[in-house]
Amino acid sequence: MEEIKKMDFIVVDDSKLDCFIAEKIIKNTGNCRTVKSFLQASEALNYIRESNEFEPASTIILVDIQMPVMNGFDFIEEFEKFNSDLTDKLNLFIISSSINENDINKAFEYPRVIQFINKPLTSSNLKSLLQNLENKDAN
Amino acid sequence: MEKQNKIKVLYLDDEPNNLICFMASFRFDYTIFIAPNAEKAIEFLQAHPDVSVVLADQRMPGKTGVDFFEEIRELYPSPVRMLITAFSDIEAVIDAVNKGSIFRYIKKPWSDDEIKSAIDEAHKYYISTTMLAAKNVELQAAYEELGKFAYSVAHDLRGPLLSVLGALEIARDINSVDEMREILGMMELSLTKLDDFVQSIHEYYTLKKGLVSSDKIDFATLIHDMTNLYASGSKTNNIRFDLSVSQDGEFTTDLISLKIILSNLITNAVKYQKKNETDKYVAVTVIANSFRAEIEVADNGIGIREEYIDRIFDIFYRATSEQTGSGFGLYNVKDALRKISGDIVVQSQIGVGSKFKVTIPNMNNGRN
Repeated sequence: MEEIKKMDFIVVDDSKLDCFIAEKIIKNTGNCRTVKSFLQASEALNYIRESNEFEPASTIILVDIQMPVMNGFDFIEEFEKFNSDLTDKLNLFIISSSINENDINKAFEYPRVIQFINKPLTSSNLKSLLQNLENKDAN
Repeated sequence: MEKQNKIKVLYLDDEPNNLICFMASFRFDYTIFIAPNAEKAIEFLQAHPDVSVVLADQRMPGKTGVDFFEEIRELYPSPVRMLITAFSDIEAVIDAVNKGSIFRYIKKPWSDDEIKSAIDEAHKYYISTTMLAAKNVELQAAYEELGKFAYSVAHDLRGPLLSVLGALEIARDINSVDEMREILGMMELSLTKLDDFVQSIHEYYTLKKGLVSSDKIDFATLIHDMTNLYASGSKTNNIRFDLSVSQDGEFTTDLISLKIILSNLITNAVKYQKKNETDKYVAVTVIANSFRAEIEVADNGIGIREEYIDRIFDIFYRATSEQTGSGFGLYNVKDALRKISGDIVVQSQIGVGSKFKVTIPNMNNGRN
């Protein structure tokens, strides 16, 4: 059995229940060191900007698309403006209930977006997300 | 009044006699504009965009009638074009008809009856094509709204359902009763949001199709009933309701629209309160007389950022992530106000509170 790498998670979703679900599922994986949720995208951006504790390749950000005031795409656009020293350490995923093709296609236009995950977050799609990430790092 | 309904006809001819003769024959049937040259004709078209029929002589010095039509076709496409011509110009006419630049041609010398029936028919054609164009614009707008609508509905209906499904999934592994209660509370919130949304869609369609009815309004009872709905909820949230209603005489408006306006404004005032405010209040003031009702819904809640105020009435726009909103409520308010010719003014300051002032005309209009 290989040693499981512990990750830090950041969840950005305006639904309290969805944040709660994500936290639960994440904590249950056994891969989680910390998990922080933000109901507002702007607060998550501030946190990322001000925090300098990120370790290389150990942070996962899950961001919802449809949020009021600042939506997921606005968030990603701001995120991609950050210094690449910072963003290289962070793995960005979209988690959404959207089944709209435009949303899904648009998500992949952002170079920093690794994967589009459908809501609700379950332990099996979280596992595949982590698997995905491991493969990506291995390459 | 009758003059306005007359068909507007423009006639271009370089022969002054023809112009005078035309004017004399048809001035009682139509509103006639006569132009001795193309420049003058274009001036008329510019000044009177509702000219529906344009007649032009083919043989004119400098520019032929067909040339003139080709020229105005781009800029003034809607008036129906008819050429007046002698038999010898028939080649030019055929060409013009085939290129679609004229509706029909009238042979010289013309008879009054011939001209009249041609103008009437051309006008009919004009009405049907312009109506079609207007309908197309309407249809395009409706289609775009439907697209936007379908997108938002898919998200707003699916979102809360998926949340509840996700919660059920994790609830399987939870043993603590307290934690279970917490999840149930959040599930309830999600489903309430879904229900609110479905109700808003219902309001939206009620407003879109429904006719305006004239109902007698008793503001005191109405406001009392509407705020009572929130009384149980507001007790738990400690919200104080200040109600003041003064109604002078009978007031008539569409009850359904009025209810939609009031319920959305009051719900918002209750919903967007500051969490740690000790004296939360919602103040509803109504002053109604034989001319109009002035309704004010004020609160000391979270307020609206100045830069968002212009957009709060847009469909699906949400200015805050505090609380659950569908982005429908104030759009429906605006739509309802449009229906009963009302008006709304917003004053708000972030962190201080919001005040919505609604003015609704009394359908009795001063008669009491």
